[in-house]
Amino acid sequence: MSRYLVRHESILAILLVLALIVLSLQSDRFFTVDNLLNQGRLMAEVGLIALAMTFVIVSAGIDLSVGSILGLVAILLGVFWQNVGLPLPLAMMLGVFVGGLAGLFNGFIITRFRVPPLIATLATLALYRGLAEGISQARSVRGYPEWFFVLGQGEVLGVPTQLWIFLACAVIAAIVLGISTFGRATYASGANAVAARFSGIPVDRTILLIYTASGLISGLAAIIFVSRVSTTRSDMGTGLELDVITAVVLGGTSIFGGRGTIIGTMLGLALMQALKNGLALAGVKGDGTIVVIGLILIATIIISNLLRRESDG
Amino acid sequence: MTALIELAGISKSFAGISVLRDISFDVCAGEVHALVGENGAGKSTLIKIMGGVHRADTGEIRVNGELMHFASPRASAASGIAVVHQELLLFPDLSVAENIFMGHAPRTGWGALDWPQMRRRARELLDRLQSHHIDVDARVGSLSVANRQRVEIARALSQDARVLIMDEPTASLVEEDVQQLLSIVRLLRDKGVGIVYVSHKLPEIFALADRVTVLRDGARVGTAPIGELDERKLVSMMVGRPIDQLFPKQATKIGAPLLELRDLGFGSVVRDVSLTLHAGEVLGIAGLIGSGRTELALTVFGITPATTGEILVDGKAVRIESPQQARDLGIAYVPEDRGLQGLVRPQSIQENISLTVLKSLATGTLIDHRKEEKLARDSIAKFGIRALGPRQIVRQLSGGNQQKVVLAKWLATEPRILIMDEPTRGIDVGAKSEIHALMSALAARGLGILMISSELPEVLGMSDRVLVMKNGTLVAEFDRAEASAEAVGAAMTLANNASNRSGEAA
Amino acid sequence: MAVAAAIQRRSAASRLVEAYGQELVVLGAIIALFVIVGTVNPRFLSENNLINIFSGNAYIAVAAIGMSLVIISGNIDVSVGSLIGVLATIAGTLAVQGYPIWVAWTVPVLVGMAINACVGALIAYFRIPSIVVTLGMLSILKGGLISITAGTWITGMPPEFFIAQARFFGIPAPVYFMVVLTVVMALWMRYAGLGRAIYAVGGNAEAARASGLYPERICVAAFAMHGFFAGIAALLFATQLQVIQSTVPPNLELTVITASVIGGVSILGGTGTVIGSTLAAILFACISSALVFLNVSAYWLRAVLGLLILATVLADMARRRRHRVAGRV
Repeated sequence: MSRYLVRHESILAILLVLALIVLSLQSDRFFTVDNLLNQGRLMAEVGLIALAMTFVIVSAGIDLSVGSILGLVAILLGVFWQNVGLPLPLAMMLGVFVGGLAGLFNGFIITRFRVPPLIATLATLALYRGLAEGISQARSVRGYPEWFFVLGQGEVLGVPTQLWIFLACAVIAAIVLGISTFGRATYASGANAVAARFSGIPVDRTILLIYTASGLISGLAAIIFVSRVSTTRSDMGTGLELDVITAVVLGGTSIFGGRGTIIGTMLGLALMQALKNGLALAGVKGDGTIVVIGLILIATIIISNLLRRESDG
Repeated sequence: MTALIELAGISKSFAGISVLRDISFDVCAGEVHALVGENGAGKSTLIKIMGGVHRADTGEIRVNGELMHFASPRASAASGIAVVHQELLLFPDLSVAENIFMGHAPRTGWGALDWPQMRRRARELLDRLQSHHIDVDARVGSLSVANRQRVEIARALSQDARVLIMDEPTASLVEEDVQQLLSIVRLLRDKGVGIVYVSHKLPEIFALADRVTVLRDGARVGTAPIGELDERKLVSMMVGRPIDQLFPKQATKIGAPLLELRDLGFGSVVRDVSLTLHAGEVLGIAGLIGSGRTELALTVFGITPATTGEILVDGKAVRIESPQQARDLGIAYVPEDRGLQGLVRPQSIQENISLTVLKSLATGTLIDHRKEEKLARDSIAKFGIRALGPRQIVRQLSGGNQQKVVLAKWLATEPRILIMDEPTRGIDVGAKSEIHALMSALAARGLGILMISSELPEVLGMSDRVLVMKNGTLVAEFDRAEASAEAVGAAMTLANNASNRSGEAA
Repeated sequence: MAVAAAIQRRSAASRLVEAYGQELVVLGAIIALFVIVGTVNPRFLSENNLINIFSGNAYIAVAAIGMSLVIISGNIDVSVGSLIGVLATIAGTLAVQGYPIWVAWTVPVLVGMAINACVGALIAYFRIPSIVVTLGMLSILKGGLISITAGTWITGMPPEFFIAQARFFGIPAPVYFMVVLTVVMALWMRYAGLGRAIYAVGGNAEAARASGLYPERICVAAFAMHGFFAGIAALLFATQLQVIQSTVPPNLELTVITASVIGGVSILGGTGTVIGSTLAAILFACISSALVFLNVSAYWLRAVLGLLILATVLADMARRRRHRVAGRV
């Protein structure tokens, strides 16, 4: 297993280096510190959620509702602050808390009623987005105070604020998944939940925590998103779940669970963002870039599948 | 007698590793030809070559004297060869009739499936197998294992099979169903079907087979009429060395009570079970499948917490609501289904063994990899696990070695009470005796072992005391001296509702 | 023995409930909705509204037929929404450029079959999980669509092109498509060898192989047929308005998947019927319309749908659990 992962991650790393070389040859604006930092800024929301999604998919689950949770929390942030009149920091905390509740609810349906995660989160995808739309009634909230934009538009030590947050979360996630007992419980639950339970691993609690974390971090991403774009709309984060899942799967996490790493997810994210940006700079029109991402996703999986089959004999 | 199917000089290798070397084998009409050998001897590969799943590298297959080249299962089936797979390859969501005719359903004039004819012919086939009670419209997923197997046999007959290959058909059947299966096999034999019968269970082979072929390490050791063999001789052919005793439980000093159950119950499947397990004791639990044996184990282990009664460990009443609590009380459970419940098979030996003791291997929450690896290396040495190293994936190990990994991971918790559910199911003879020896050694060290087994010889050979379960409750108890196959077997099956648990039964 | 047989052979009614439980639940929900909403606001039952409900959403039901095949075969397709968008654009472009109408109608269907046959081949022969392949296809199709059309709407198709606006005996053409395709496919799934093979592969691919079926070919065939239905759905979508938008309704693929699943197709493969998925698509359409007639803000529509999906799934889980307890040892 470990050999396979190394292999997949090295393919990704090689691809990433190749992409960086080709893209910097295409446009001299690509390989500049400013541009790369700015890309990090754009990547942070998807990246944050992808960290949690790695846990979710390793545990043999999937969370399609993350984009909707993001939209719901964004709307609630505006409502708590403007309509209810709470102080903004409290509204932020409450928003993230609701995100966590939404995730907990997902986990509850999955563990308590044994609904397959794909179905459970498909339902809550509609539910949470529907709540966001219903609550907002298509009104957007603007006029946040200046300090709030530090989170999404500001810099600390010359690096975008949200990139610091993302990197801190990534380090924590890598440690937890890689070498903690919780990470081991996640892998075991994903590879064989019954055997994990029979070995005294609290499988249901692990799954519940993972989905709650996924909701919490989607809530955090929502705050950063609102801060970055200065406004709140109910359609924020639509389709985000597919971006996130693409990054995670591109990073070598098996969609069947039991296998995957945070480093792989980081490489997958970097490759996706580099391609999006580099191709745009090279003159490919906006959405042409996602065609390339789709092709890369399929190609990477084919290559690593073929290599794995060879090494298995 | 002319051979229905005849294999000559069959060799096969996978990725350069030779699995079968120069095998010759034949089956005649109206005979049962048993194929035996330890796991890894090449039986399954030979079956798959006959069934058209694999192609032999060299050698010839003749059916009714005609040279054949099977390119697919379909080609093999067309020549009248059918396989009843060990894992029962059926479609749980589809009906019995459809399962029987999948891939070769009767059609109407314009090509549509002919459902009425399909159901009628399915009925006829099941009736031929004396299986009048199976509804052709029932979902196969709702049938018992024994009935599913009949569906699979009916499926083989539906293709006018002249040769029927049965791969460990009794592996997951209880005694009662085994007897019925054997009579079905005899019925088919008497109708002129040639049967290849693969089994680990020697009594069945002596009850059924006309000839026996033994494979070892991919080569044929020999073929002999059953009359020329006895159990000891057959085992030594299989293992390559004589095995003196299959069930070597040594007498140990029986110590203080470790585990006591008082009127324990779970719903309606476990009722009023009271028993005491002592240190150094192997307490065997016999009973049919569905008698509540496994359910009792799951209740003690906290998978399905008890709804009534109480559990005492070392004389103190405890609540066990989860496997974690059971583990922390020194209870270990080696489960019935190794692949599903016992092991995380895509993971390494090391990761499997450490799963039960993660906390003690960690500083804070972070796992100490050196400690973890050391534990795995020690276990591999201690239990004689044949593996490349602690990082080998468990799936690649043989059944016996997988079972040793399960044992190792539970003994790593240093339990005092060990529950073993079918400890040697699907394991070859050599590994079986190693596991029995290990159980003896553990009992000698003062562990209390609660052993559930469907194999009566194992229960009788290993247990200090035998309890019999039926309908969710204990119905009889025997000391080692009184426990005979007849007495225990009678207690398991007889419609005897009165509790006669004082030892005077039988 | 005779007694045992009598116990085993349960009544036809209980078998009907077992085999078509989910379909009956959805049908019941539709009827309940009609009764309740019709009582509150009789205009809900007006001919005009009913026609709107059925014809405006028929394309979702048609797409859900194909999706059901794919899910029954043990796979999933998250790219179908974008595929419908691409095929609709192809149909419109061909019509505008003056190709014969039959070309504008058949080419998208053939392209849909070809694209999805490739998807099926990638899944079957390269052993890539279907969700991964179709996630990639989603990016490719969505990106391709937007970058080719550059977000502009297609207009100026000849009047004969608008097949979805045609009526026969007062009933719009999409309703015929929906009903005929559903009935034909329901029969096909029951009586065709390939139809049963799709159930077999989805239920137990290994057993299917041992039964002499070819799971790879069946997977490709299921996806190609799914492409056919996506093509028809794209035609209905493209011809229902005078313009073809460059975007499809957001999350269309999820709506289609949801229709299949609510209709009783198990996400794990091997069970379900196309009648169920069509009924579920109709139910969704009725709910959207009902909210309007109940004076609920349209913005709450998705929340209501979400709750409904959740309720159905939980009810289904409860039903299955009872089933399991009764069935398994």
